[in-house]
Amino acid sequence: MQYPEAIAKLIESYMKLPGIGSKTATRLAFFTIDMDEEDVKEFAESLLAAKRDLHYCSICGNITDEDPCEICRDANRDQSKILVVEQPKDIMALEKMNDYQGLYHVLHGVLSPMDGKGPEDLNIAPLIKRLQKSEVNEVIIATNASPEGESTAMYLARLIKPAGIKVTRLAHGLSVGSDIEYADEMTLQRAVEGRQEM
Amino acid sequence: MYLEHLELAHFRNYDSLALDFSPQTNVLIGENAQGKTNLLEAVYVLSLARSHRTNDDKSLIQWGHDFAKLSGVIQRRVGRLPLEIVLSHKGKRAKINHLEQKRLSQYVGQFNVILFAPEDLGLVKGSPAGRRRFIDMEFGQINHQYLYNITQYRSILRQRNLYLRSLQRHQAKDLVYLEVLSDQLSGFGAEIIWARKNFLQQMSEYANAQQQQITQQREQLIFNYQTVLPTAEIQSSEQLYQYLKEQYQKQQKRELQQGTTALGPHRDDVSFIVNDKNVQTFGSQGQQRTVALSLKLAEIEMMKAQTGETPVLLLDDVLSELDDLRQTHLLQTIHNRVQTFLTTTSLDGVARDIIGQPTTFTVSSGKVIH
Repeated sequence: MQYPEAIAKLIESYMKLPGIGSKTATRLAFFTIDMDEEDVKEFAESLLAAKRDLHYCSICGNITDEDPCEICRDANRDQSKILVVEQPKDIMALEKMNDYQGLYHVLHGVLSPMDGKGPEDLNIAPLIKRLQKSEVNEVIIATNASPEGESTAMYLARLIKPAGIKVTRLAHGLSVGSDIEYADEMTLQRAVEGRQEM
Repeated sequence: MYLEHLELAHFRNYDSLALDFSPQTNVLIGENAQGKTNLLEAVYVLSLARSHRTNDDKSLIQWGHDFAKLSGVIQRRVGRLPLEIVLSHKGKRAKINHLEQKRLSQYVGQFNVILFAPEDLGLVKGSPAGRRRFIDMEFGQINHQYLYNITQYRSILRQRNLYLRSLQRHQAKDLVYLEVLSDQLSGFGAEIIWARKNFLQQMSEYANAQQQQITQQREQLIFNYQTVLPTAEIQSSEQLYQYLKEQYQKQQKRELQQGTTALGPHRDDVSFIVNDKNVQTFGSQGQQRTVALSLKLAEIEMMKAQTGETPVLLLDDVLSELDDLRQTHLLQTIHNRVQTFLTTTSLDGVARDIIGQPTTFTVSSGKVIH
């Protein structure tokens, strides 16, 4: 026997989400059938609303419901610094720190020919334009510590430095509260290289 | 170090097995297809947490079972150490002294083995890729940093080759990104070439000592590392990095035409020079075998120098491939020094007077009789 079309379609839709295979999708689909109609309606509407109301900020590329986004509109923030991240969710992580007061810029990925991402596929040209007509004097690059994250950082540095803007990169090393004895060799090596005078 | 005790459950054709070994020579004797090599493979897996015959761990599990378990006790200078590997369809778990290890890289390196199989005799005249793999595996076992650099290099090389191809087809045009990739590649490439150079130099000395002994001082063996490195002028990996960067700039036009990376350690090779002649092209088959044997014996010395312990030697059916002289040298070198497991169909023709009374195990359809 085959699933009725409505369930089959629902399973297929769930499977489009990341990290969900056919078993989980089937479980979620059957759970959805047992849910209250009100809840299902709300669920469907939030999906649509998220797609309809959210878009990327025309300045920094962050996800927002108003353009420009909350951070770009905030005149109290330090307009002289831009922190460059791979994904909008990285901004969320950095904002939790409650310490950084500057602006952001989202690349929406890293340079990786393997995944079909070259310089023109990332949100880089708008960043350069943004720098040309602003008072920014430091660009902090916060791409991940992967080989691709490194090449993206080096690429940006080459584009930005000639304009006389300072380019910095986040430090690598031990995580706070961790024991040295449990750290792997590569992390330790980075930490020793990046040591600071006391 | 030596392997004192081994237990297997549902491994290949062994349902359940428990054996105690001699710290010297252990001979596994039996007809073909009875499980001799499977037993050597088990020792190899206990050491490196993977097989030398397959990348598919599932094929190591006995047919119709969910898991395979290998446990052993090794004896080192500092004392005994129990090791355990469990392979299942979900993955593998490794324990040192009954404690589960989070990462396999922490497990590997406790128990060192060196395998000598008939394929190794072809190392000298085989493909450059085979020789690079040999260097990477040997060196990677003793140096984690080297292993890391190799992995990073390979991943950047793939990205760079793909990007060169899209530049060649005019699907991309940004040369700054190409320069960035060249820079990164030069960084890891310089570390790799520098490490290989030092490693091969050291290994060359050990191998030459062996070669001279086997040939009664008649043959001198020298390794010739073939790489982009111009001799002498470059004194550090930092200088080498600068040099590689320049080379990529010079070669840019050619690389853009060909759509692939033209130089770097992925094109390295090593040739073996005996008495000023390249053995690969001018050596007899016997000479090539002597070099392969010297190489393997040099590995034992290298590993001993690096770790302070003598590794365990696994000889898979190689004695029959060596003539009397080379067989005698091999057995003399390892006698009373290196714990050895050797497989053979019969002990006839093996220099018995050297190994004396070896501990023999008869292997027959998945059963082992001491």
